[in-house]
Amino acid sequence: MVAIMAKPVEQTAYDELVVLAKTQAGALGKLYELYYDRIFRFCAHRLFNRTTAEDVTSSVFLTVARTMRDFKGRTEQDFRSWIYTIAANQANAHIRKTVRRKRLLRNALGHREAEEEASAAAWSRLDWPTLYAAIQELKPEHQTILTLRFFENMDYDEIGRVVDARPATVRVILHRTLRRLQEVLQGDLGGEA
Amino acid sequence: MFENEHDFQRLVKGLKLDDQPNPAHRERLRGQMLQAFAQAGGQRVGCVSRTIPAPAQGGAWYAPYRLAVAATVLVVATVGIWALVGRGPVTLRQVRLATQKAAWLYAVVSRYQGPEVRTERHWYDFAAQKGYAVLDDGGVVGWDYGGDAKKLLYSPRVKALMISDLSNPGAGGDSTENLMCVFAVFAARDDVKGAAAQYDGKTVRSFEIEKAESGLNIDGKAVRLLKATMMADPRTRRLLAAGIEYQGSDGGVLVREGWTMSYPPSGPASVYDLGVPTMVARIDGRRQRIGTPSAEPMPIPTPAPTGSFRLAPVEIRLPRPMFAGTPEDARLPNLERPRSGPRPPFLAPVGTTNVALGKPVSSGEEPVIGSLEAITDGDKEAAEGSFVELSPGPQFVTIDLQERCEIDAVVVWHYHRWPRAYVDVVVQVSDDPAFQTAVKTIFNNDTDNSLGLGAGGDLSYVETYEGKLIEGKGAQGRYVRLFSNGNTRDDLNHYIEVEVYGRPL
Repeated sequence: MVAIMAKPVEQTAYDELVVLAKTQAGALGKLYELYYDRIFRFCAHRLFNRTTAEDVTSSVFLTVARTMRDFKGRTEQDFRSWIYTIAANQANAHIRKTVRRKRLLRNALGHREAEEEASAAAWSRLDWPTLYAAIQELKPEHQTILTLRFFENMDYDEIGRVVDARPATVRVILHRTLRRLQEVLQGDLGGEA
Repeated sequence: MFENEHDFQRLVKGLKLDDQPNPAHRERLRGQMLQAFAQAGGQRVGCVSRTIPAPAQGGAWYAPYRLAVAATVLVVATVGIWALVGRGPVTLRQVRLATQKAAWLYAVVSRYQGPEVRTERHWYDFAAQKGYAVLDDGGVVGWDYGGDAKKLLYSPRVKALMISDLSNPGAGGDSTENLMCVFAVFAARDDVKGAAAQYDGKTVRSFEIEKAESGLNIDGKAVRLLKATMMADPRTRRLLAAGIEYQGSDGGVLVREGWTMSYPPSGPASVYDLGVPTMVARIDGRRQRIGTPSAEPMPIPTPAPTGSFRLAPVEIRLPRPMFAGTPEDARLPNLERPRSGPRPPFLAPVGTTNVALGKPVSSGEEPVIGSLEAITDGDKEAAEGSFVELSPGPQFVTIDLQERCEIDAVVVWHYHRWPRAYVDVVVQVSDDPAFQTAVKTIFNNDTDNSLGLGAGGDLSYVETYEGKLIEGKGAQGRYVRLFSNGNTRDDLNHYIEVEVYGRPL
């Protein structure tokens, strides 16, 4: 019974924190502590490069600071969806506009030898740079959904709130995104799935 | 490597990721963020209470500058007020007169009665007091309010042309059958002033008119009120569109009509230009003709040779039917009742062709399955490999006709292998490839404005091998864009073929 009760009470406290953070710097500081690591990791997974991830993380929290007073949400869940939406948009904008994207890809692919053997063994050598390079071949919005699902462990409902889509839509996109990712990896690694 | 989400999750967990936060960055950013928060709060307060400080120096310059600005504002405001008062608000009379001065008016009328929709195409020559219409079943009507005051009605089923007396417009009987009647019916409300409104992304003048009705019945239910909304171009003062509701005694809408107007340079010279066979039997039912000594109907004059305007059936090659029936999951509340028979031939000016055939297609997102070229390759079969699948949610494709065209109809086959209805279908025409300016919407069944393009009143429909024929409504442009937002079976969007029937301008 206690366990059942604990979460709502804790949730309420977080909700109050969100409301207070609209006017009190101290409350905003606490929210920052709660979310800094998550947002940084999300950006790192989306952008691959640590320095770039820090830049975008900074941009996200500065945006939050400037617009927090106008934030309409009243719960921690609202805030979570909101800040991830900001992070996803800024990461996607960064990927779209920066010419460094191709450099990132080259850096990522540079970790691999130029001539990989086309064999099942190649799959066992799948590393983060290789996977990231393949993810970059997807549409930015699909990258966002993939990252939220598998790196942030969000469920479909929550992802839907971040990307403004129905959970069923998210599920279908994710299914197709994985299929597409597999095709890209097959092309990169020259192997069969 | 990964067959499903679970496999991929395991793969991700096994990766070595460099994603540990840097404490130094965390602390540095914390300070920056709180400073930004404080500044944002300060600016907000300042916006409310800040006063313009007097300049420490250069006061002599500042005062004349302010005077000059004030004088400029005053002059501009005076000119604006003069212009406003001089021209005055637009009245319905001015709209009617401006509309009637046009050489020709072409209107596409969609008549909605429950789940049924009937579409008519009207042409008006106000100077000659003549009007023509092609009905949904291929019938043709001619109204002559001139000296003859006759009405001609051709029925393709009976294969005869019936001639009858025509009552004065607005005198009852015809109600809002044609635009001349509409103008006559609402003539007493000529002084109604327009208000600003939005239509198809443009600011227009809107006129709200009501008229009590008696003697008119629809399916045995008496019509008590006609309610019309007329929308006019504020620049030309011509009618752009109209919505008419026939309300019953309980206030419910028995029938609603949507009119979309355009102003072509030419029109039909007689009903024979609209597909009526010249050798068709003529039945003269006019009162003064009945019982005449010859007991023979007077032949109507032989149709004069017409100029460039003549309608002929457009040959639309259809694919093999793949199913029959209604959607298994018809969740859409505004679903059109399927037509019981084949679609009547579509009439368009001679020379009309599929101007989209082989033309380039682009989309908002890359297709998930297939290539966009398939949309205009002429293959309408619902076979594997013949369709394009776009991602779930709102998606669009744009066809570049590569030259400006007058568009008579767009025929779209989303996917007719299974009975399904596509959601939020919107079709637009524009000369702007970005569809930011001069956009004309020719079909919109997004009733709740999910796409943000404006709510539409067209009905949803079940995909069939015949495709959906959408009237061009006089649209002209180089680009045709089609939106959809999933279908009743899943969230995906598909296209097998899109044909655009028209003529290069």
